Amino acid sequence: MFQSFDTTNKSDGIAPPAALPTARAQWLALLARAPLALLSADWLPQGLQWRWLRAPETGLMMVQGRVGGSGERFNTGELTLTRCTLRMAHAQAGSDTATVGVGYVLGRSHAKARQVALADALLQQSEYQEQIERDLLQPIRAHLNAERVMAQQRADSTKVDFFTVARESDAGEFEEQEDMA
Amino acid sequence: MTQPNTLHAMPGMAAQAATDLSHMAAGFADPVQGSQQIFRAGLQAMSHPGRIVPVPVCADLPTHGHAASAQLMLALLDADCRLWLSPSLRASEVATWLRFHTGCQLVDTLALAHFAWVGGGDAMPRLADFQHGSDEDPHTSTSCVIDLAAAHSAAQDVGGWRLQGPGIADVCQLSVSGLPADFEAQWNDNQAQFPRGVDLWLALPDSLIGLPRTTRMHAADAASKGV
Repeated sequence: MFQSFDTTNKSDGIAPPAALPTARAQWLALLARAPLALLSADWLPQGLQWRWLRAPETGLMMVQGRVGGSGERFNTGELTLTRCTLRMAHAQAGSDTATVGVGYVLGRSHAKARQVALADALLQQSEYQEQIERDLLQPIRAHLNAERVMAQQRADSTKVDFFTVARESDAGEFEEQEDMA
Repeated sequence: MTQPNTLHAMPGMAAQAATDLSHMAAGFADPVQGSQQIFRAGLQAMSHPGRIVPVPVCADLPTHGHAASAQLMLALLDADCRLWLSPSLRASEVATWLRFHTGCQLVDTLALAHFAWVGGGDAMPRLADFQHGSDEDPHTSTSCVIDLAAAHSAAQDVGGWRLQGPGIADVCQLSVSGLPADFEAQWNDNQAQFPRGVDLWLALPDSLIGLPRTTRMHAADAASKGV
């Protein structure tokens, strides 16, 4: 659920990856884990022009894993994945340039994949970046952090501090037994 | 796929994939209906060799290559297919478009290809260079689509070919332009090694002509071979 992607500082004890992924990879990772409620909130600017390059489609993706540091890749299992790609024209009138947004999300929600792709396309256009960062990415970060804190608290409440009472010496026990006899 | 992050980018193409996509065409408007219609047309063409089968346009297409062949590729290819493209198509947006929509793998060696697409104006490779399959697995041969400048099937044509074989009631007349001069000889070599051999679709901008390996070809007029 939580990836090293989210960890940009060392304060929470998890070292960041050696090379941070690109900004786009980071926001896609963030968007992919956002709940639909936050993604469909009112952050989308008006009057956008976009069309599908690949309409949302749901399929299976093989996920690979490794065991141990030198372990071979193996196929862990298949995940349900929904993906889509869209092309969004730049905001300036008369410009025929465009950005391409992709949405890859776990599960079968077409709406979620579409919102992710829209946000991705907008985040690549500098004039929208600040607004999307403020209206969409920040709330998602806050939500994921709150979820993480809650999970941490739930785990903390079950924590047991083990301590060991120092044993008395064997010799002493024998003496007691002798005394009783 | 060995790298999870190369889901639809080829090694060497990854860097420019993002810019390429912004001018890419969208593919089938309705993927299910579209691919079924095109598959039907391709099947009709193969079951009636030499007949010109019209192909509806139901997809957003790249500017290079005939619409009929582009749609056939879109309908037939998937991630397990290896595709060979002729040089002009390989250099155009067609390669990115097919990679994106079908996930097929592009290969440079003809003998490795499951499918091949020869664009109009490109030199056609010799049929002998394609994969012909084996007697045990004849279905592993290459299926090839060739873009033609023109073709007609008028029975009174003097030049052209007389086609015979399964799927043709009597004789089918066909004359095409845009194939090499010795195509008829190449085809008869291909036909002679049945059950091995390649299957062809000859493509016009809006229609397909099937030429399966079972079809026998003779020059309609011995003086004008392989027009």
